[in-house]
Amino acid sequence: MTKVLAVARWEYVEKIKSKAFLFSLFFMPLIMIGMGVIPSLLASKQDTEPRVFGVIDQTGELFDSFDRRIQEDYKLPDGQPNYVLRRIDASDGLDETKYRADRLVLEGELEGFLVLTPLVFQDSAAEYRSRNVGNIRVIERFTQALREVIFEKKLRTSGIDPKIVKNISTSIDLRTVKISERGEEEAGFEKVFFSAYIFIMMMFFLVLTTGQLLVRSVVEEKTNRVVEILVSSCSASDLMTGKILGLSGLGFTQIGFWTLIGVAISLKFGITLIALDNALLLLVYFVIGYLFYAAIFVAAGSPISTEQEAQQITSYLVLVLILPIVLALPVLQNPDSLFVKVLTFVPLITPTMMAMRIPIQMPSGGEIIGSILVLATSTVFAMWAAGRIFRTAILAYGKRPSIVELIRLLRIAT
Amino acid sequence: MLIARNLRKVFSTGPAVDGVSLEVKRGEILGLLGPNGAGKTTTIRLILNVLQPDGGEVTFDGKPFSMEVRNLIGYLPEERGLYRKNKLLNTIVYFASLKGIDSAGAKRRALEWLLRFNLMGYADKKVEELSKGNQQKVQFIISVLHDPQLVVLDEPFSGLDPVNQIVLTDELMQLKQRGKALIFSTHVMDQAEKLCDRICLINKGKVVLQGDLNEVKQRYGQNTIHVEFDGSGAFLSAMPIFKKTLLYENSAELLLSDGLTPSEVLRDLSQRLAIRKFEVREPSLQSIFLEMVGAPAQGISRPAAPRHGKVSS
Repeated sequence: MTKVLAVARWEYVEKIKSKAFLFSLFFMPLIMIGMGVIPSLLASKQDTEPRVFGVIDQTGELFDSFDRRIQEDYKLPDGQPNYVLRRIDASDGLDETKYRADRLVLEGELEGFLVLTPLVFQDSAAEYRSRNVGNIRVIERFTQALREVIFEKKLRTSGIDPKIVKNISTSIDLRTVKISERGEEEAGFEKVFFSAYIFIMMMFFLVLTTGQLLVRSVVEEKTNRVVEILVSSCSASDLMTGKILGLSGLGFTQIGFWTLIGVAISLKFGITLIALDNALLLLVYFVIGYLFYAAIFVAAGSPISTEQEAQQITSYLVLVLILPIVLALPVLQNPDSLFVKVLTFVPLITPTMMAMRIPIQMPSGGEIIGSILVLATSTVFAMWAAGRIFRTAILAYGKRPSIVELIRLLRIAT
Repeated sequence: MLIARNLRKVFSTGPAVDGVSLEVKRGEILGLLGPNGAGKTTTIRLILNVLQPDGGEVTFDGKPFSMEVRNLIGYLPEERGLYRKNKLLNTIVYFASLKGIDSAGAKRRALEWLLRFNLMGYADKKVEELSKGNQQKVQFIISVLHDPQLVVLDEPFSGLDPVNQIVLTDELMQLKQRGKALIFSTHVMDQAEKLCDRICLINKGKVVLQGDLNEVKQRYGQNTIHVEFDGSGAFLSAMPIFKKTLLYENSAELLLSDGLTPSEVLRDLSQRLAIRKFEVREPSLQSIFLEMVGAPAQGISRPAAPRHGKVSS
């Protein structure tokens, strides 16, 4: 065990100091920020003309104060109000009114409209409907104003006791609904897709970073024959475990660092974080799934002895990683189909499937336990097989063994 | 210390090691000799458990291979290299940590060794900044830093200049005096002759000759003439009085036919060559080697077709 740690420590400490790693650690977020911030800077250019929005106010008591606050707080440089709010009469029923207002939006009369039902006091829930729900600044300002208006209202109507203060200080959950000719689409779809996307991307990055480093380090040790000293000092499985541990640590450091930056930026700019529900359960899938991929990388990477081959094999493995992303769309469209349920039990894609299914609709307990068992068993097997291949392949310097030879390696007891 | 019995390893190309047995004791240097591709390196890998044998067994002080044994072995592989981008001291400490030495102790010992090999100034340099010879010294340090009981050196002298060859020879002799068991492989017979107490000659995966160096040489008789001269010795290889000739630029090793005395030969040769040295003793390891592995005896200069050595027994 101490040798495993010695290998892990070496791989981690020496690689984390390397210029290439530090560069990617700091440069990647810069690119990400650049890609994220520059368009939004362009998007948040000051308005020059008033923009017209509608408000359906079923409560009957919010419009005036909301309107006042918007007029006061947001003015154009020339003194005109930035936003003109039009009250939409809701006397012929909510659905009918929404339909009418939707038409106004589609015809260009209104840029969007708010729906305030009495629920706004209970659940602090309101609705914003527009052709474009990506206008973060408008949404943010409206949310802010609405929050304050309701806050005041609640304070006024109730006696102030701690329970109420706590209740009213919860933030407004503005449900955004995208209106299109095809009708309305739940923005929740995007949320699910986005959180699954982040999950997949994180796994993708982690596997790729670690996998590449792993293949590289094996190739280097083969090229300089250091592997002979290593294998005479510790067992091949110690070496493999140490490498996986150390380099995974490196990958997790990278992802952790980026996540931290991401969270910091989100908090600073007030972007709502997409909270992953059931994060713990997803973490289980993440870790086991990651180990499964790591085993594949070890098995595929250890027979390699040159940099060129390493790059080749990495590009093949990227394809394996992309497969779940390709399958993501059918899953989201129909999370309950038999096809999806079957896919959930394919170890390679279990983590991704679950990452998408769990936020949409919690799969049954049996499916969860079953899929974890299948995934874990496959991972143990994959690690065992990878260990076998690794043990023999790291001492083979010549040509890359064929698939048949690899299978033979698995069979023979060496 | 180390006993290997009947080791076998078969690769897809055929058996690489076929029934090799050898032994090395404390305070003894065993020379593992053989031509390229004879199975020396594979034998070493089997001994070190880098490869698992298909047959046979290896014991250390009577015990089979174990994790503890790993820490008692030092290994200098044949084709050398180190992590190029890492700092020298860190690299040495890493390898020591794999042998179970804590990092403080490893650092202290590493600095002692660097001082001893005049490499102190490189401690914080990257390995790739070192010359090849210096890298090789570092590799030697790595193989002995943890004070192993058995040191296995695969071609330790290749690539070293004469000065460093002497430095390394001194180190090996010191290890021997301190009671360590040493195995070193080479195909340079002069080195083996100078250093080894025992030899084990391997060819085509099999041991063809094994034993105490002096005893092995004596087995080959005392009727070999070592001669040094000025002038062209080309005619020597054509002389029928020699069973075997090994001809070099200004020297030759000649195996005398039965029934002839060295003094007759000396008289004969001194008429045709300016003899500087004439000695009768056992054959050199080189000639035994060539005979055993069946290679043609050949000199460095051969104006005439060399006479192939006949196998004598």
